[in-house]
Amino acid sequence: MSNLLEINDLSVSFDTPEGEVQAVRDVSLSLPEGKVLALVGESGCGKSVLCRSVMKLLPRTAKIKSGSIMADGVDITNYGERDMRKLRGRMFAMVFQDPMTTLNPVMPVGDQIAEAVRVHNRRISRTDAHRRAVEMMELVGIERAEERSRLYPYNFSGGMRQRSVMAIALASNPRILFADEPTTALDVTIQAQILDLFREIQATLHTATLFVTHDLGVVARVADLVAVMYAGRIVELGTVEDIFYDPRHPYTWGLLQALPAWSRGRDMLNAIPGMPPSLIHPPRGDAFACRNPYALGIDYLEQPPMFRISETHSAATWLLDPAAPKVQSPIHGGPHAEQ
Amino acid sequence: MTRKNWIPYLIKKLAIFLASVLALSVIVFAVSRLSPGDPLVSYYGERTEKMSPAERRQTMERLGLNAPLTTQYVRWLEGALRGEFGISYKYKQDVLDVIAARIGNTLLLGLPGFLLTFVLALLLGILCAWREESWLDKIISKAGTVLSCVPEFWLSLVLILFFSVIWRLLPSSGAYTIGKENDIGDRLRHLILPMAVMILSHLWYYAYMIRNKLLEEIRADYVLLAKSKGLSRGQILFRHCLRGILPSYISLMAISVPHILGGTYIIETVFSYPGIGTLSYESARWKDYNMLMVLCMLTGVVIIFANMLGQIINERIDPRIRASEGLEVPTNEP
Repeated sequence: MSNLLEINDLSVSFDTPEGEVQAVRDVSLSLPEGKVLALVGESGCGKSVLCRSVMKLLPRTAKIKSGSIMADGVDITNYGERDMRKLRGRMFAMVFQDPMTTLNPVMPVGDQIAEAVRVHNRRISRTDAHRRAVEMMELVGIERAEERSRLYPYNFSGGMRQRSVMAIALASNPRILFADEPTTALDVTIQAQILDLFREIQATLHTATLFVTHDLGVVARVADLVAVMYAGRIVELGTVEDIFYDPRHPYTWGLLQALPAWSRGRDMLNAIPGMPPSLIHPPRGDAFACRNPYALGIDYLEQPPMFRISETHSAATWLLDPAAPKVQSPIHGGPHAEQ
Repeated sequence: MTRKNWIPYLIKKLAIFLASVLALSVIVFAVSRLSPGDPLVSYYGERTEKMSPAERRQTMERLGLNAPLTTQYVRWLEGALRGEFGISYKYKQDVLDVIAARIGNTLLLGLPGFLLTFVLALLLGILCAWREESWLDKIISKAGTVLSCVPEFWLSLVLILFFSVIWRLLPSSGAYTIGKENDIGDRLRHLILPMAVMILSHLWYYAYMIRNKLLEEIRADYVLLAKSKGLSRGQILFRHCLRGILPSYISLMAISVPHILGGTYIIETVFSYPGIGTLSYESARWKDYNMLMVLCMLTGVVIIFANMLGQIINERIDPRIRASEGLEVPTNEP
C-alpha cells in the first residue's frame, strides 16, 4: 500500500500583529490510497490549517516554516500558485464546513459543477460538461438533478447544498479529498445522510480522504485511520480500533470521556478542564500538560517524542516511556462510543 | 421566467411607472408654484417692475396663473396628455422646441461621459482590487480621493488654463466653432475638456465602491471553493466575484443616470456649453414654470426608467432579488 499523501515534519505559522502563531507544529502524517484518515481535535488546534496548507489555500500571512509535503511521490512543498492550480481539483479537492456560504449565491448550481468539470479540460464542450454535472448531482444523491441543476443555491436546503459541494469536489476525479468538518453545520439527521454518502462514494471511487472533525462519533462512522491533534501537533495516531479500544494519550482519553455516551445515566457530561494554550507562545514541554491529570514532571520540561505502540499505532506522551509509572487507562471497562 | 409570468410582470412594472410619473408631476407642480418668486420676471424681465397692478393681473390672467392651483394642474395635465407643454416664459417658444435645440448637445456630452465613467470606474475598481495593497492600488486610491474632492468648477478652470490658455491645444468654450456646426472633429475637440472634468470628478466615487465591494467578495467563502476547484484568480474575479457586485453597482448607476441631463450644469456653465443643464437651473431660478415642469418630468422619467431597467438586469444576474419580491419563488424541498 503506497502513500498518496505524505506530510513530513510540517510547521505552518501565521504572522499576526500579536506575533507569530504556530498553527501547525512538526506534523508528520501519511494518507494511504483509498483510505479515510480522520483528523480530530478541538477548535483552533490546527486541523483546518493543516488541510489548507496542503492545498495552499491559506492567506498570504501564512508560511510553511519547515517540513515537506509529498503528493503522489512528488514534493509540492515549494509549488507556486500556477503549479498548485493544476493540482487543485485533479489531485486534491476540498469540501468545506458551511454549505450555506461556500456556493456562489448568484450562479446556478449546475454551472458551478460544470465549471469544475471544465476547468482542467477545456476540450469538454459546455453541453457535455453540463451533462457530467447532472451525473455528478445524481451521484451525490440529488433527485431530479437535470431540473435542479438550473436552480440557485438559495433554492436548496443545507443538505442539498453540501451534496452539491461534494459534487463540485468530485467533478475532476480528485485522488485526495479534504473534508473540513463537512457535517458540522448540518442538523443531525442530514449529518448522518452526508456521512453515509461519504462512505458510499469512498467505496465506489476509492478517493483517499482526510476528514477533519471534532466529533468522535463521526470518526467512528467514516474513518479507517485516526490522527488526534492538539495545539498544532499530532498526539496520537492509529487505526479506528487502536484509538477507540486502546487509546494511549491522556488527551484522547479526555476526548472519549467527553462523549455524551460516556456520561449516560449521570447528571453531568465529562469535560476536559481548562483551555487549549495560545499558539503564539506555545508552552514548553507537552502543550497538554497543564490540563492533564496524568502529567509527569518531565511533561512540563520536554516535548514527548512519538512512541510506537504497534505497526499502526503511536502516541506522543511520556506515559509510554519505559521509565514512566504505569497508569491504568480510564477508558478500559467504560462504554465505547457508538460501538 | 416563463412566458405566462411575463405579461402580468410587465403590466405591474408599467403601472408602477405611470403612478410614479403622475405623483412626480403633482409634487413638482405644487412645489414650484408654492415657492416664492415671480414668473412674470422671466417673461418680461426688468419691465415687470414698472407694471401697474392692473397690467399684472391682466398678464397673469393671460398666462393662466390666476386660476386655483388644482385648475392650473388639471389644465396642465390635459395639455400634457395631448403633448402640449406650453411655452417657455423666457424664450417665448414652445418648451419642447427650446429643449430640442439643446438636448442634442447635452446628450452628446452626458451619454458618452456617463458610459465612460461607468466602464472606466469598473476597470479601475477591478484593477485596484486585483492589485490590492500594492503601490499601484495605494497611489490610485490616494490620487482618486484627492481628485474626487476637487470641485468641478475649479478643475474645469485649471484644465482650461493649461490646455486652452497655456498650451493652446483645445477650445475653452462652446459646443463648436462658429461656422463649423457639422464638423465632427471640431465638435469632438470641444467635448474633450468638459467630458474629462465630468469623468474625472465622478470616476473615483464609483471605482472606490467597486474596489471595496470586490475586496469584500474576494474574502467570501465561495472563493475558497472556487479556488479549490483549480480556478485562477482572474477566473474567480471575473466569473464569480464580479457577478456578485454588479447588481449593487447597476443600482447605483441607475440612480446616477440623471447626471446626463441635469448634473452637468456647472460644467456647462464654466465651458459655456449650450446644453439643458443651464436651462434647468435658469427655469427653476426664474420660475419658468412650463420649462421647469418638462425638465423635471424628463429627469424623473429617466430616473424611474433607469431604475426599472437596472432592476430587470439585476434580477437576471441575481434571481434572489426577484424571489424577495414574492414573484416566482420555486419551491424545492428535498
